[in-house]
Amino acid sequence: MGNASYLAVAFEGILLIGALVVLLVAVVAGRSRAVWAPIAGASFLLAALAGVLQWIEVENGGGGMFFSAQNLQVIKSPMVVLDGFSAMASIVLGLVGFTAMLGSWDLVAKVGKRSAEFVALSLLAFAGLHMMAATPNLVVIFIGLETASISFYVLAGFIRADVKSDESALKYFLLGSLASALFLYGIALTFAATGSLTIYGVNSIRDFFSETVVSDPGILLVGMALMLVGLMFKISAAPFHQWAPDVYQGAPSGAVGLMAAGVKIAGFAALGRIFVGGFISQIDTWGPIVAVIAALSMVIGTTMALVQTDMKRLVAYSGVAHSGYLLLTLLAGVEGMSAMWFYLATYPFMIVGTFAIISTVSGPTSTSSPIEAMRGLSRRSPEMGWLLAIFMFGMSGMPFFAGFVGKILAFIAAGDAGYIWLVVVATLTTVIGFAFYLRVVATVFSGEDDDTTMIDPTLSSRFAVVIGATVTVVFGIVPWILIDVVRDALPL
Amino acid sequence: MTLTISWFLILAAALFSIGVAGVLIRRNALVMFMSIELMLNSVNLTFVAVSRELGLIEGQVAALFVMVVAAAEVTIGLAIIVAVFRRKASANVDELAELRG
Repeated sequence: MGNASYLAVAFEGILLIGALVVLLVAVVAGRSRAVWAPIAGASFLLAALAGVLQWIEVENGGGGMFFSAQNLQVIKSPMVVLDGFSAMASIVLGLVGFTAMLGSWDLVAKVGKRSAEFVALSLLAFAGLHMMAATPNLVVIFIGLETASISFYVLAGFIRADVKSDESALKYFLLGSLASALFLYGIALTFAATGSLTIYGVNSIRDFFSETVVSDPGILLVGMALMLVGLMFKISAAPFHQWAPDVYQGAPSGAVGLMAAGVKIAGFAALGRIFVGGFISQIDTWGPIVAVIAALSMVIGTTMALVQTDMKRLVAYSGVAHSGYLLLTLLAGVEGMSAMWFYLATYPFMIVGTFAIISTVSGPTSTSSPIEAMRGLSRRSPEMGWLLAIFMFGMSGMPFFAGFVGKILAFIAAGDAGYIWLVVVATLTTVIGFAFYLRVVATVFSGEDDDTTMIDPTLSSRFAVVIGATVTVVFGIVPWILIDVVRDALPL
Repeated sequence: MTLTISWFLILAAALFSIGVAGVLIRRNALVMFMSIELMLNSVNLTFVAVSRELGLIEGQVAALFVMVVAAAEVTIGLAIIVAVFRRKASANVDELAELRG
């Protein structure tokens, strides 16, 4: 087995055990969801705690590469890597998963006897998502990607009574599998060109670039491009974003927060691990491509969001634009990773909180949620109305909210890398973006006084929204707390 | 005439392209799904051919993992397609157009 480390795989281990316990309890003790609420919550919190322990270990000079083929003088094809990057992914995914699970609990309560499957699939999905951030092996990244994707296909089609949920699942499945296959072919061609499947260790991809003069890069270029396209599909960057609005709209409102936030974090973690960790010497090749995709994402995401009438589609298109801003951080290479983690530690909480509110207003099993349904929310449920406004300000990049700091850090990263034109595009789309975020806020605070159908949010969704809003506000006012931490969240 | 690795790589690339074309052109969900399986298997061919050419074991192991993942994908994919077929009595993706905006 070589050099094993339980700490390095603690996140995956805890979530897998949690999923198995939930399934076993469902069989043995009957199907009372009261039983697995603490199991699911404890799994995510323990996983985040494991992330903190990993972080302390890395800060104390521990960490490194584990589960390698040999434990002699050389480390050959390690399977798990413990560094600031993977420890930060544990913390973020654990806390976001916990919050998203709280936001999904209304749906869990609604689906009755199938709720155990929902909880188990969510836990398994997050284990797969972290695997994408914590392994230097390209094939294991693919396995983590598929573990998460296959679970999410099921979650998207969880409401069998609604044809839209079926359609959403089918679209997600067909396009997601296509993206996975493209990503996998990219891995195979990279393997053909470099003779290696691993990013670190002996005979790794990094070794290949430092030792070899690439004379005929044809196959390597195609391989890199296919891996890039596959991951761009997953993070819904333009022009590979068409599935996102349909899937978000058709999937049950209570499940979208989990999928949208989780895939975003892990997709960018994998992009960082592969392209900044492995292909950093080729940044002149992939940098311009990423820059063009980032510009397209920001422009298309912002303009399409302007004309949406459905809340979930609006958040989906805003997510396309946010993928564009996040891609800016990749262009700066290793220096951009701390900016990426600041963004990934704050923006997913806004997604989760927004979808928890959508789920409360339109119902957890709903497959559409017109913006008009938010009219007068500030009176019908004052705390939900105000907190939705906070999330909209956060996403738009209003000063004193976390989204603003995240965007500034991303702009600085792109500027340092010499992509001034991209910073101009990003600034313009941010300004235009205020239009649709503020339209939602205006709807929330408008409406007739006699419209007083009160909305009474459940305790779990209240918690989810409050956690999300706390992150959005606190890291907007005192961002340096988080900036100091993510400075060390670098790939090995 | 001997078979070199480029024959296998070209065959795999051709199969992969046929698969991509199938997903993009065909409208039947089952056929699109078969095309995706064709793509995954052409990747396996690439892995195994490169593995033999370079004398490395990693590619063959990767092919085994891909088969397992593809099997898992089949179970979920067919279940979703059957669920859609039961409701619509058709597996044509163009007839599914509830989600617009």
